[in-house]
Amino acid sequence: MTTFKPRPKQQEVLDYTGGLMGVAAVPGSGKTRTLSYLAARLVATAPMDEDQEVLVVTLVNSAAGNFARQVSQFLKDEYELLPNFGYRVRTLHGLANDIVREKPAQAGLSDGFTIIDDREAADILDDAVRSWVSNHPDSADWYLNEDKLEDEWVRTTRWPDDGVKAIAASFIKQAKNLELTPEGIAAYLDAYNEWLPLAEMCYEIYKDYEHGLRYRGGVDFQDLIRLALKVLRDDATFLARLQHRWPYILEDEAQDSNALQEQTLRMLVGDNGNWVRVGDPNQAIYESFTTANPEFLRNFMREPGVQARELPNSGRSTRSIIYLANGLIKWSLQHPNLAIRERKPLDRPLIEPTPSGDPQGNPPDDPTQIHLRYERFSPDQERDAVVRSIGQWLPQHKDWTCAVLVPMNTSGAKVVGALREAGIDYVENLHTTTSTRAVIGTLTYVLNYLRTPKEAKALANCYRVWRRDDRDDPEVADAIAQIAAAIRKIDHVEDFLWPRLVDWLDDFAGDNPTLHAHLSEFRQIVRRWQQAVALPIDQLILTIAADLFTLENEIATAYSAALHLRRYGETHTHAQLPDFALELEAIARNQRKFAGVSDEETAFDPDAHKGKVTVTTMHKAKGLEWDRVYLMSVNNYDFPSAESFDSFRGEKWFVRDNLNLEAEALAQLDALINGEEYIEGLATQESRIEYATERLRLLYVGITRARRELVITWNNGRKGDQQEAVALSALRAIWEEVVSS
Amino acid sequence: MPAKKSIRVTKAQQQIVKTPFDQTVFLEGAAGTGKTTVGTRRIRYMFEEKVAPDSILILVPQKALALPYYDELKRKKTAGSQVGVMTIGSLSQQMVDLFWPLVAEEAGFKHPMKRPHFLSLELVQYYMHKIIGPEIDRNGYFNSVTINRNRLFSQIVDNLNKASVVGIPYQEVGERLKSAWQGDETQKHVYDDAQRCMTRFREFCLENNLLDFSLQVHVFIDYLWPMEAPRHYLLNKFRHLIVDNSEEDNPVTHAMLGDWLPQCDSALIIYDTDAGYRRFLGADADDAYRLKAHCDTHAMLDRHFTMSDDMTAFAVEMAETLHHPLEGVKVKRKADALAAIEFPESIRYHPQMVDAVVERIAALIYDEGVPTSEIVVIAPFMSDALRFALMTRLEAYDVPARSHRPSRALREEPAALALMTLAKLAHPAWQMRPTTFDVAHALTTAISDLDMVRARLLVDVLYKKGQLAAFDNIRNAEIQQRITFELGERYDMLRQWIDEYQQEMSPQLDFFWSRLFGELLSRNGYGFHDDFDATRTAANLIDSARHFRQIIGSIDPDAPLAKDYVEMVQRGILADAYLDWQLEDTESVLLTPAYTFLMSNRAVDYQFWINVGSPGWATRLYQPLTHPYILSLQWEQGRKWGDEDELAANQDALYRLVLGLIRRCRERIYLGFSELGEQGYEQRGELLMAIQGMLRRRALEEA
Repeated sequence: MTTFKPRPKQQEVLDYTGGLMGVAAVPGSGKTRTLSYLAARLVATAPMDEDQEVLVVTLVNSAAGNFARQVSQFLKDEYELLPNFGYRVRTLHGLANDIVREKPAQAGLSDGFTIIDDREAADILDDAVRSWVSNHPDSADWYLNEDKLEDEWVRTTRWPDDGVKAIAASFIKQAKNLELTPEGIAAYLDAYNEWLPLAEMCYEIYKDYEHGLRYRGGVDFQDLIRLALKVLRDDATFLARLQHRWPYILEDEAQDSNALQEQTLRMLVGDNGNWVRVGDPNQAIYESFTTANPEFLRNFMREPGVQARELPNSGRSTRSIIYLANGLIKWSLQHPNLAIRERKPLDRPLIEPTPSGDPQGNPPDDPTQIHLRYERFSPDQERDAVVRSIGQWLPQHKDWTCAVLVPMNTSGAKVVGALREAGIDYVENLHTTTSTRAVIGTLTYVLNYLRTPKEAKALANCYRVWRRDDRDDPEVADAIAQIAAAIRKIDHVEDFLWPRLVDWLDDFAGDNPTLHAHLSEFRQIVRRWQQAVALPIDQLILTIAADLFTLENEIATAYSAALHLRRYGETHTHAQLPDFALELEAIARNQRKFAGVSDEETAFDPDAHKGKVTVTTMHKAKGLEWDRVYLMSVNNYDFPSAESFDSFRGEKWFVRDNLNLEAEALAQLDALINGEEYIEGLATQESRIEYATERLRLLYVGITRARRELVITWNNGRKGDQQEAVALSALRAIWEEVVSS
Repeated sequence: MPAKKSIRVTKAQQQIVKTPFDQTVFLEGAAGTGKTTVGTRRIRYMFEEKVAPDSILILVPQKALALPYYDELKRKKTAGSQVGVMTIGSLSQQMVDLFWPLVAEEAGFKHPMKRPHFLSLELVQYYMHKIIGPEIDRNGYFNSVTINRNRLFSQIVDNLNKASVVGIPYQEVGERLKSAWQGDETQKHVYDDAQRCMTRFREFCLENNLLDFSLQVHVFIDYLWPMEAPRHYLLNKFRHLIVDNSEEDNPVTHAMLGDWLPQCDSALIIYDTDAGYRRFLGADADDAYRLKAHCDTHAMLDRHFTMSDDMTAFAVEMAETLHHPLEGVKVKRKADALAAIEFPESIRYHPQMVDAVVERIAALIYDEGVPTSEIVVIAPFMSDALRFALMTRLEAYDVPARSHRPSRALREEPAALALMTLAKLAHPAWQMRPTTFDVAHALTTAISDLDMVRARLLVDVLYKKGQLAAFDNIRNAEIQQRITFELGERYDMLRQWIDEYQQEMSPQLDFFWSRLFGELLSRNGYGFHDDFDATRTAANLIDSARHFRQIIGSIDPDAPLAKDYVEMVQRGILADAYLDWQLEDTESVLLTPAYTFLMSNRAVDYQFWINVGSPGWATRLYQPLTHPYILSLQWEQGRKWGDEDELAANQDALYRLVLGLIRRCRERIYLGFSELGEQGYEQRGELLMAIQGMLRRRALEEA
């Protein structure tokens, strides 16, 4: 039984009955709970017809799952109502998908269209970029550093891989957000007088990329939103039907909605609709090179007729950590760089501790566990220091949770390596697609066995993947390994699977009924798979998946694999099981990119990993919390302040004049559609400011992940020339002031 | 309904059965009120009263709907065989064949002095690939729609067929579709492309004396029926008409009947209210209702024989939930709608739902003694994986099952694949050498008890350079033992058969298969011996190859027929719709898509609705190149097809489907639902919403 006793500020939100409401929440303020509770209350008590639903929109799938669970729990506990009825929880992409699936024709699609995920889209883009670069061997001339002009390696690998690809990706994303087709851009290019090399390059790649998508019968994530909006605009009756279907729309993480997404929701809300937007503009960390902007939510809250509310109380962290986080906000409002200051990277409300007597009060304060390290470490030294510290801390805090947060995946991988070497238990939650690969790998083992049915070794592998969920338990893992070894040694596989004269299983487990039953079950499953080999490949995969997977994202990944192989079969008409097995193997080995399901689908639960250390990026840590948090690499490379000595991630070492070509390409697009003059370099300057402000928010997110203890370190970078981030120095000054008083 | 349980006939029914033989009757009523029983009893009565059997015509929209009549006709062998049982298609074909010289020239055929060739759906696809395929490539047609070739062709064929059965000139189809389109303007050109393809195909048919379904109906309805001689012939031959499921037939058939009714001796026109499931094939229920005005007497049946009292209550509740309350249906006071359904507690995953369904079926059979033939598993779509999952799980419980899935590609049937592989092995001259994987699979299908592992052992040793060697060629005694001599012997028989066939090879693929099947595969010890589905596939494949040989061979005698045929099947053409005896109530559980079950014209005690969360119960498959509503008589020309039309069509379809199913269920309906569908996505279709709405309303009422 969930009991939810709202705080006074939460109650103000819950008192909502209709109209527009904007809520600015701070980290740990219980906004998800509040919003779920509000959703449940509306489902139960608002005047709605049977065909109407409360629509809840979230940012990522894991949040959607979380929401759905909470709403159904509240409905059951507080109102004794059926789950899954009267509401729908969707990500924005999921919502767009729902809309487009109802009207594929209006979007110019056939009903079997597939969604090409980021990875496969990247693959298509890769092809387009390569073919463009090889058709334009001189394309690098205009932008390379003079001393790199003759460097073949830079021209043929760095330029396409590190340069063109990212530039084109940003450009295409932006073009789609602005609802510009390649043909539309071509018209602008024709009408424009100056030469815009980046825009022209990106236009051609965009055209090729779109062709690639259409050839696969697919749309990418950007298209999905764009097409949903198009359908809503083109079909007023359909829009009216949806407006009727969703009389209440509740939106979480509203600070990350981009212009197109906001427009979509605005249309669904209509003129007199009911819309609650909850978000924390201080945690907007997905804005670079997008049309998203935390100002949208702030502006919304200032619109006439919008009820503005705040959720400032947070029981998550100790008072010390709250003090530091608030210190960062206040400092940023006085930021030494005027351009940054004017953008208000962080803004009020400040975080307030919970009122006394709150059931979810703040943890007891311990100022001694705030460590803002001043050492000028090298990257290796920093890593060693952190690993050493964890090694000492972990054994004494077995019931606590702990995380290392890094700005980039690559540094995370190194931390993982160091932890492994030091024999420290860790959990990896980095942006690799390990779960996708695991699913594909599992399917590959099964297909490989079906391809070579007399191989005992392959059958043993099937057994291992069938039991893969049980391998975490060391005792069971032992048993699994023993059985797998026994299967591997079977001389004649048929004597186990299809016994005629002798039954291997009777000999092996005749005196152990449990084991016998267990392996009989396995035998039944393998027989079923063998009987299924002549099914169309996608159906075979689904059949196998039904026996192997239960988790949502696993099933969805297996389904993507099935679709991928079906498409593969359509383009390779003679492909058979052995070919499909090889194709899957290539994906599993990561030779082939694949439309898996992003890891965000799985909700990560820090509390499930007590006594271990989690390694993840600050981006992926959003929404999560740990007792002790290490923030690494807080230097002026990862957290710049747009100072002259800063170097910026988007500025490639082989590009002349420190130009940020992604930013320049977008500026050229901008100039193109507005018919304005393009001045090289301005966008690069601008993007430094933008980047600096976003990274400041990222640091804020990092700090507010900690419940009780916080350690921040920095390093001097690969070349040894990086400084401590200005923000970190400022934080230390703030902290020292507290300590000394 | 067919005579499964002994059927008592009511006074009202009896009265209609015994209508004098100079009267025409229009009989209407919902499913399950005993209309078809009246039809079959009427036949029996006519025989008793010595009406000449060859003067009776039973006209149905599709062959499967005649199954109850065939049952009745079988009772009187000689007389029964003389009764005409036809669809508009077979009637057209017979008439065109008979009166060809009269119309060939006028109808525009280039060689009126030569015989016509009638094309099955398979042959239509063959020519589409051959004639239209290159045209599409050359001109870049349809470049803005993503659609696979086979589906594209089938939609072009659909357009031609609909035009002819609705009575619209086929030249207007593209324009009609265009004028109703209200989406992106740039998409409109696909309808022009479709029109060009239709026109080109029709020209090709006229040039070569080929008649596809659309042309057969067109020639019959627009040329023969208005002519004195053919019309006179028909009117004289068939003096007594029985037309069942007239609501599933099309406007040109209705128009013909409108002419015919005043001129025949007797007629019984049966009309099912709330049906009209074949709209995507041009059926028009509203139009059928106009036949009422042409009949002397009108009758109505409204007593439901099928549904239990609880089921009737459920029908009433669902009709109300779907905003279409049933008029005049009384619910008994003690009847409880909820007692007619089982809706288990929330199940999260699809495979668990399949398990639960199968477990429940097994319990019905073993614990409650329900006959297998009284259970049907219904899904909006029956995918291969779903069918396989159900089949294998039922098998594990020793529950016999059969399935029916119409409009599939032949190459998607494992049994067909195996037969194709065997054909390739027997015809090395084709140079289509099968892979070891294919051969191993073919052997497991062809030889009983041969498993994948042993098949692989066999093939690895004995299959070299496209040839199978004798079992004795295995030098290693251990391997022989592992395979077992019993299986080795069966293998040798098969291999020898193929060897001998190669000595005296006949060029005809259908002979090859029918001999292989008759002489070996259907015998004990071979895989088709007791496998319903495989046997049916084999029979269809043989029919299909024979038809192909006969037609294409007579048009193009030099074509490499057998090889062409194999290639055609490999391209994935859809199989012809064969009259499917699987639908009969043999002693096994039937797995079927919902509409197919409705078209089988029978009721059962227990229905299992699978995937009730799927949107497929209400929404039709989106076809970018054709449209069932716009290509109908009711559609006002030039009007745009909008969201409200789509919504109304979906709601109407859902209502008709759900009521149709409920009325064909006697005892109970089990609702199989998992939160996540087969593909891992959350399910929220209209049927689920309606059921949950009903449950909620009930809960509120009780509270």
